[in-house]
Parts: sequence; C-alpha cells; structure tokens
Amino acid sequence: MTAAGDNQAPLLEVRGIEKFFPGVRALSGVSFEARAGEAHALIGENGAGKSTLIKIMSGVYRPDAGSILIDGRETRLATPDDARRAGIATIYQELLLFPELSVAENIFLGHAPKAGFGRIDLRAMRERAEALLASLDIDDLAADATVGALSVGNRQRVEILRALSYDARILIMDEPTAALTEADVTRLFDIVRRLKARGVAIVYISHRLDETFAIADRVTVLRDGAFVGTRLTSETNAGELVQMMVGRRIDNMFPKTDATIGGPVLEARDLVRRPLTKSVSITVRAGEIVGLAGLVGSGRSELAQTLFGVRPAESGEIRLMGEAVTIRSPAEARARGVAYVPEDRGVQGVVRPMSVLHNLSLAALSSLAHAGFIDRAAEWRLAEHAVEQFGVKTRSLDEVAGRLSGGNQQKIVLGKWLANKPKLLILDEPTRGIDVGSKAEIHRLMDELARAGVAILMISSELPEVLGMSDRVLVMREGRLVAEFDRAAANSQSVGAAMMGDAGAAEKAA
Amino acid sequence: MSAVPTSARAPRIIVRHEIILAAILVVALIGLGRLNDRFLTVDNLLNQGRLMTEVGLIALPMTFVIVTGGIDVSVGAMVGLCAIVLGYSWKNLGFPLPLAIVFSLGVGAAAGLANGLLITRVRVPPIITTIATLTLFRGLAEGISQAHSVRGYPEWFYFLGQGAVFGVPTQLLILLVAIVVFGVALDRTSFGRTLYAIGSNETAARFSALPVDRIKLAAYALSGLMSGLSAFVLVSRVTTTRSDMGMGYELDAIAAVVLGGTSIFGGSGTIWGTVIGLVMIQLLKNGLALTGVKGDATIVVIGVVLIASVLIASSLQRRRE
Amino acid sequence: MSAIALPRAAAARAPLWRRVSSQETLLAAAIIGLAVVVGLINPRFLAANNLADILLGNAYIAVAAIGMSMVIITGNIDISVGALIGVLATVSGSLAVAGAPIAVTWLAPLVLGVAVMGLQGVVVAYLGIPAIVVTLGMLSILRGGLISVTGGKWITDLPDAFHLYDIEIFGVIPMPVAIMAGATILAAAWMRWWPRGRAIYATGGNAEAARLCGVSPRRTLVLVFLLHGFFAGVAALLFATELRVIQSTTPSGLEFTVITASVVGGVSILGGVGTVVGSTLAAILIAEITSALVFINVSPFWTHAVQGALILATVIADIVRRRRRLAGDVR
Repeated sequence: MTAAGDNQAPLLEVRGIEKFFPGVRALSGVSFEARAGEAHALIGENGAGKSTLIKIMSGVYRPDAGSILIDGRETRLATPDDARRAGIATIYQELLLFPELSVAENIFLGHAPKAGFGRIDLRAMRERAEALLASLDIDDLAADATVGALSVGNRQRVEILRALSYDARILIMDEPTAALTEADVTRLFDIVRRLKARGVAIVYISHRLDETFAIADRVTVLRDGAFVGTRLTSETNAGELVQMMVGRRIDNMFPKTDATIGGPVLEARDLVRRPLTKSVSITVRAGEIVGLAGLVGSGRSELAQTLFGVRPAESGEIRLMGEAVTIRSPAEARARGVAYVPEDRGVQGVVRPMSVLHNLSLAALSSLAHAGFIDRAAEWRLAEHAVEQFGVKTRSLDEVAGRLSGGNQQKIVLGKWLANKPKLLILDEPTRGIDVGSKAEIHRLMDELARAGVAILMISSELPEVLGMSDRVLVMREGRLVAEFDRAAANSQSVGAAMMGDAGAAEKAA
Repeated sequence: MSAVPTSARAPRIIVRHEIILAAILVVALIGLGRLNDRFLTVDNLLNQGRLMTEVGLIALPMTFVIVTGGIDVSVGAMVGLCAIVLGYSWKNLGFPLPLAIVFSLGVGAAAGLANGLLITRVRVPPIITTIATLTLFRGLAEGISQAHSVRGYPEWFYFLGQGAVFGVPTQLLILLVAIVVFGVALDRTSFGRTLYAIGSNETAARFSALPVDRIKLAAYALSGLMSGLSAFVLVSRVTTTRSDMGMGYELDAIAAVVLGGTSIFGGSGTIWGTVIGLVMIQLLKNGLALTGVKGDATIVVIGVVLIASVLIASSLQRRRE
Repeated sequence: MSAIALPRAAAARAPLWRRVSSQETLLAAAIIGLAVVVGLINPRFLAANNLADILLGNAYIAVAAIGMSMVIITGNIDISVGALIGVLATVSGSLAVAGAPIAVTWLAPLVLGVAVMGLQGVVVAYLGIPAIVVTLGMLSILRGGLISVTGGKWITDLPDAFHLYDIEIFGVIPMPVAIMAGATILAAAWMRWWPRGRAIYATGGNAEAARLCGVSPRRTLVLVFLLHGFFAGVAALLFATELRVIQSTTPSGLEFTVITASVVGGVSILGGVGTVVGSTLAAILIAEITSALVFINVSPFWTHAVQGALILATVIADIVRRRRRLAGDVR
C-alpha cells in the first residue's frame, strides 16, 4: 500500500480553507490533499469539520477563504455540478437513490446515453450499466433490478457505480461503512482496492480507527475545525490518532469508579426478532455498566429497541428484577422501569421545535397529569431539577430545544428519561457527536448512576469509551452475542478482533 | 449553570399571531359596522353565531388533526353521510328520532375511526386516505338517500337549530362549550401535549413512550363525531336532509384553522386561534352578503384567504429561520 | 468468500410479459372480464353503441387523468381540476356562442388551463405551500367564480363547427377516442424515453437525489403542472363538445373521479411510480363500471360509493405491498 505518484501534483488539494457559519467557525486554515491511487482517511470527532470539508470539496458549500486545486490548477467549485465536472464524486451517508427505478437508471439519471430525437437509449444504458458492474466484478446484481428491493450494501454499490459512470477520478465517501454488514464491508474494501489500482483517489470520512488501518494509506486528523496532521497509516497507531483527535489523554475521559454490583436487573434469554436479532441472551446487574460493542449493523440498536418495546421480541424471555415480563410497547417498558436513550438524537431523542421544558417532561406526562391535566408547577420543578442536575446550558426553560448544542440536547434526552427513575438504562451511542467537555460530563453521570444502583447497558461504537466505562464488555456480531470480556481482559485487540469475527485472536489478546 | 425560570416570558410567535389576528378582527368589525347599519346589531351577530356553528364544530377537531401534521378533507362528506343516516334511519328504518340522532352520531364517529385506522394501522398518508373516504362517504350518502330528502321532523327537533336559550341561539351555546372543552384539552392536558409532540416529531414522540397511534386515532374519530354533531345541527336548522349537505365545509374548516395560526405542517396552533379564524371568515361572508355579493362568490374570497394566510404564515416562518 | 451470499440474479432480461406493469395487465383483464360478466347478465351491455358511449363519454376523464398522474407521481395532488374543467368548458362555449373563430374557441381553454395550473405549480414549487392547500383554495376560487359569473345558466346555441365529437379520423375513429389514445401514447412515450419525462419519476422518487443528478425538482414540478393544465384544457374541450349544451356548473366530484383513475391505474401517492397507460385503462374501467351498474339494475346513485371503495382498495393494496417490501422497519 504505497502512496502512488509522489512526484505528480495531487489530484485534489485544498489549502488554507476557512468556512464560517453564523456563530461558529467550522473550518480554520485547513489543508488537505489526495493523490491518485491512494485511499486517504479523514478522521476526527463529530463537529471537527469533516463533513464541512467534504461538502466544500463537493461544491455544496463555498469556502470563505482558501483555494481548491485540481491537478495542481486552481479551480472554483461553485456548484455540485462543477465538482462533478472536475471529476469529483461524493457518496453521502443517506444514499441518494430512486427506489422505484432500476439500477441502470439510477446510475445514469441525468446523463443517460441518447438516441435520436433526444430519446434515451435504453439498451445502451443497460449495456453500459452491465459493463460497470462487470468492471468491479459484481456478479450478483442485475442492471434492471429495482433499487428499492436491494440491501443497503447493494445500494451503496449502485451509488459507487454512479460515481464511476461520471468517470470520477476522486471518490469521496462519508461514513461508508456506517450501515453495512460485515460482509458488505469486506466487499467495499475490495472495491476500494480495485479503484486504487485504477488510479482513483479515495477520500473517506470514518470514525472507525480499525477501518482506517485496514484500508487507508494516509490519514488526516481534524480537530475543532483545524488541521492537526497527516500520517502514513503504516507509521502511526491508534493511540497517536486518538490523541490527535481528542487533544488530551484518554484517561481523563473515563471517570469510572467501582460501584457495588448488585442482583440482576435484566435477564433476557434467547430473544429473537427478525431480521437482526437472531438469539440473544443478556444479563445486566444493578450498579453495573455493560458495554455492548460491535460493528454497525451487528444488531445492537435493534436489541435495545426490542428490550424497550419498539420492536417487541418474537420469542424469548425477559425478566426484570426477577419477574418475567412481556414488553410490547415503549409504554410497557417505561412502566417496568426501562429507559432508552436512542441513537439518533435529532430524530428519535429530542423534539427540536419544542421547548426544553416540554422535552424534559415528555416521558413523564402520565405521572405529571391528574385526570389528564398536566400539573404545571410539578412539571416546572422537574425541568428545573433536571437542568441543574445535568448541567444543561440554556437561557431558559422556554428556549427551543433545537437551538441547544448537541451535548446539551443529549443531556435533555437523558434528563427526560431519568425523571422516571429507571432501573435499567439503555444508552445507544450516548456521546456521539458531542463536544469533548460534555462527553466527560455524561460519563461522570453514568458513573454516578451506576453507584446509585442503576443497571446500565451502553451501546457504543467508540472503543475507548467502551473500554473505559464498562465493567463488562459484550460483543455483538450479526445479531448474536459472540464474546464477553470482563474489565481486565478487555482491550482494543481482544474486543476489536471479536467484532471482526476473529475468535482466535480475541482470545489470545484477552 | 442553572436556567433562569421565566414563566412570564412570552412563548413564541403563536401568541403574537393571535394578537395580530384579534386586532385585525376588531378593525374588521368596526369597518364593516361603519359600512352597513345592519351589521353591528345584536340580532345579526347572534345570527352569524348560529350560522358559523356547523363549520365551527368541525374546525375544532380539525385543529387537533392539523396539529398532528395530518389533514382531514372528508369532514364535509361525513356531515352529508350523517345527515342522510339521521333522516333515513328515522323515516325508512323506523327508529325513534332520539335513537336516530344517536345512531347518526355513532356513524360519524365510526367514519372518523375508519379514517384513523387507515392512517395508523395501514399507514396510508392522511391526504389520500381522506380523499378516498371522502368519495366513499359522499357516495354512500348519495346511494342511501337515492336523492330523496327527508322532511317533517317534529317540533322539538328544531330547537337545536332554530331555538334560543336566553336569546342566545342554542347551537351557539353548544359551540361555546365545545370551544372551551377542546381549547382546554389542547392547552393543558397530556392529550394536547402529545398532539403537539406528534406534529413536531412523531418518531421522538414514539420513542418517548407516548401512545401516538391511540392519540391520532382519537383525533380522527373526534373529527367524525363532531361531523355527526354538525350534521344534527344542520338538519335541525334547515329542516331537511339532502345528500349534498356539508359540501365545502372542509374548505371553511381548514381555512379557519390555518388562518388562526396553526401551521399546516403540524406542531403548533391553538383552539383560540382557530376561533378567531372562524369568526373572521364568518364575518367576511356576512359582510360580503350584506353589501350585496351573492352567496357563491363568497367562497372565492375564502379560497383567496386560505392561500394568502398560508403564504403569509410560511414567509414569516422562513424569515424567522 | 463470505457466508452471506446474495442471490444470483438472472443475466438475461425478464420476459416481455413480466416487464409490462402488472397493474396494467390487471386492469386490461378487469375491463374484459367485467364486460364478459355483465354481458352475460344483460347482453344489451355489449351493444355497439353502449360500448361506444362508454368510451366516448368518458374520454375526457382519461385525458385529465394523464396530467393528474404526472402530478401525483411527483408526490403532489390537485383537487382543483374538476372546477377548472368546468370553467374552461364554459369559457370555450361562451366564446363559440359569441362568434369567435373556432380555432380560438379550441385554443382558449388550453392556454387558460396552462396558465391557471402553472400558477399553482409555481406556488407549490417555489413557495413551498402544500399542494392540497393551494388546490383547495383554487378550487373554491374557480367554483365560486364560475357560479357568480354565469349564475349557473346553461350555454345553448352552440355553432355546429364547435363539436369535436362529430369529427372522425379516417372516417372511422371518433375524435374523442383518437385524442384519448393519442395523448396517452404520446405522454407515455415521453415519460418513458425522454429525460424530462424520466425527471418526473426522479423528482417523485427522491427530490434531493434528483437535484444532485442535475434535475431541478422545482422546474420539473412547474412543468408537470403546466402539462396538467394543458391536458385539463383538452379534457374541457371534450367535455364541452360532448353534448349540444354546456352546463356551466362544475361537474360534481369530477376531480375525485380523475384522482381515482390515476390511483387505480397504478400511480402511488407516495410518488415515483405509475404510468399514464394505467390511468387511461383505469378511466375506461371506471366508466365501464358506472355503465355496468345501470345494466344490472343498480341505482346510478351508488356510482361514487363504488368509486370510493375502488380507490380505497387500491390505495390499501399499494401501501400494504410497499410495507411488505420494506419489512421490519419501525421508524
């Protein structure tokens, strides 16, 4: 995996990029370059500026200062079209496809081969689609298959093919593996290698260090909108990268103390819920923090949602505090003392147009209401208490929740659920997309809750967090629990190997 | 850093919108009164109150529905259907009249429930659900009535539509009670809060363990029930039942709700705003009629008002963002 | 190789019969099947002039459904088309009675239809107002305006040359059928083979993705409304020239009949799917059902109820089918 073409100008280069949004400096003096035939990872915490940089390179945003060079020549990318014409293709996390149209049509929409009278030449379009499929050795996808019926992995492949249909020389991918199964990730890496061999430059945003080392030649770290450094992946390690991303030593982030671990709060046996929960048995005790690691797509959120009643189990048994229960809806879960802080804060957690006050009381309405009428004084007290306890920074309780920062919004979601005094707290990516200060505060909160006897199940894709905060680490893969480590035995090799499916290496490293 | 409790702090644009609206209303009242002697008389105003009840009863649950981000264009057809059912079950099926009345209310609630089930269970988008049921309900009304009208109701039946209590038209009293009930429900109960949550972010509402489907179902069922009540009032007022009754009620109701400051996209709005919108529309119609404009032309104006108020509301929203 | 193997798709293309939309085949089968069944019950149903009546009398609905289908495919709706057709027919008839040249009386509704619908399209596309609200408002403006201007009077004394119906192409095919078939074929071809036509499906399927592919959802939407207005104008002409008089009231429930035709024809309210061939076939089917009701002695007052049941059944089937495809999704 050598960096190709050292003497040529990089295919894509940005220098001194500045970007301001109202009230925030998203990028300050960022420089970055991508060379032909290399895979260049762009990493950093959420809010570090990765997405903004990508959007500038894709012509969606225009930089306030700085320059963009293609093949060494300064270029203006005023619109996405300009970027495309310059040979840059971008694949976003939300795949932008047409579910009712065919694979071929999705690939060629907007630039289909034409026949006479401006007509689209359907046959030529299909043939070219088939040629593209063959060029990447994809033999299980038909050019006239309807995209809506395809798996996420296949849909992503269609997007990549679309990029190639524009003769893209620079392929930018934003968190490409976030929603993929493990098999799809392998195939994606295979495609990346082929493209590299063809001289395509690949830039991708990822928050997963293990991937970075698996596929990237170089890695650039951004932090708080600034460029921190670029390294060859062969000459660095995870520890150095984390340090660059976070800017401080990991230890401060995880204020975990030893809590007294009591009896089991949750005991689940053989839970099944198609398609992603194959058969899971899990136990969480009072005062314990159980970390649930795994690649995205391994079924962790689905398991959480089964425990919370959003996707009720099809079979299996759940016991809470020793008592067998059925959980068919979130209301039932809540009544039993289960709380779930969801993964997607903006969509599932916070009601952005509503006030902080109303958000905080949302999960406790039935206990705040007498004969249907909300006790406003009690509601106000609940909210005041939560804001103070969790350190929510807001001008007032009537402030619109959407205006608060990610960290404060997450505190609101936590506060909303803790108002019910749950016995089992399920946290799904609790510190994703949050500034470092708030992260530490939330970890401190978790520690306090554990000491108070709450059973905590923490789903996280950030290994340092999993390793730093958990009493036990469970690993999920493809809908099943495949490994368990206690705090002493868990380290990034053992857990990482279990996540990837390498049971042997996992044991050796533990 | 703790929050500074400011319960006195005026919550958001909605209140301001209503105040502006109320101000316009007062100006309109004065203006129309100046234009026409007959306008500001107690008699006329009470009569307008009588006339606006039918749409008013429907506009109340319509507010709930639109706050959740949905819509119900089948209300007019439900009024027609309930009216026909009332007449038909009494005249043709021989029900005693009180039973026929209750039966027609039940049919209305069932129709609304059907809408709600299609929307929450089958997950058909509200717009197409209510367009489809609108056709079905109107069709049922036409089919059941076979274009015959039913007349000859007993005296007591007309008390609701044409009578008065202490000088106030009976149905207006009922509307006032309904306004208070619906208004308080939306403002102060967990039911109302849930409606707002659904309209602002339905997914988050579900994840907050709120009974989203049940509440939506209730909103649409209420829409049907109130359509039935409106039908009762209507039949009582015009002393006959016809299958084309209620036509155009959906326009008036939606216009009243939107004019009153409820966002068509859901998540905000109040019953008080809807009431102001309702009054304004009725006054508009009345004013136009008194200055000699024929009845049919007034719906032109209502149409313009509807579009204009949505345009204004959305450009205000955009400026705020 | 990974344990999860994806099924090998056939390298050859699916046979022709499977490529034609299943909805269209279903409709064609239903049209024929219904004719057979009703013909057995009452043979007079199959008399030549009854069948001709069904086609000629309802061709205008099929034509209006062409534009409506386009609108619904982009994910919007329009409930003003019935009132618009009433207005356009009246305008055309009034011009004819007033002695305007025939070409003008035929062109006027087209131009006016395009203008009115185009205006609505601009409001929806560029001002972001939901189509249901805009078209609801426009519906009342048109309906109220028509009644207050004409007072509901019928237009009689139409000049003979006005009547399109009397014209026959090649001496055999009546004009309305020719227009219906021609418009359907042209529109279908355009939407299948021309980029602007495909853009309609792209806009309805995923507007954001369409934008990034160089398709402007806003401009596509306005184009669709303009075309819708054009077809409404053509439909108005057919409607106006059907009889010797024009009732200048808006035909009741017309917009819902047109929407029913589109939806039953396979156009999904969720956008991105459907064909105009389907909506034309569905329009014919609906007309056939209406006529059939008479021949099996069911009161014509049940027509709308049957339509309502039909559209409801189609929509439910469509949604259920889609949900089965995306099985297991909670959000």
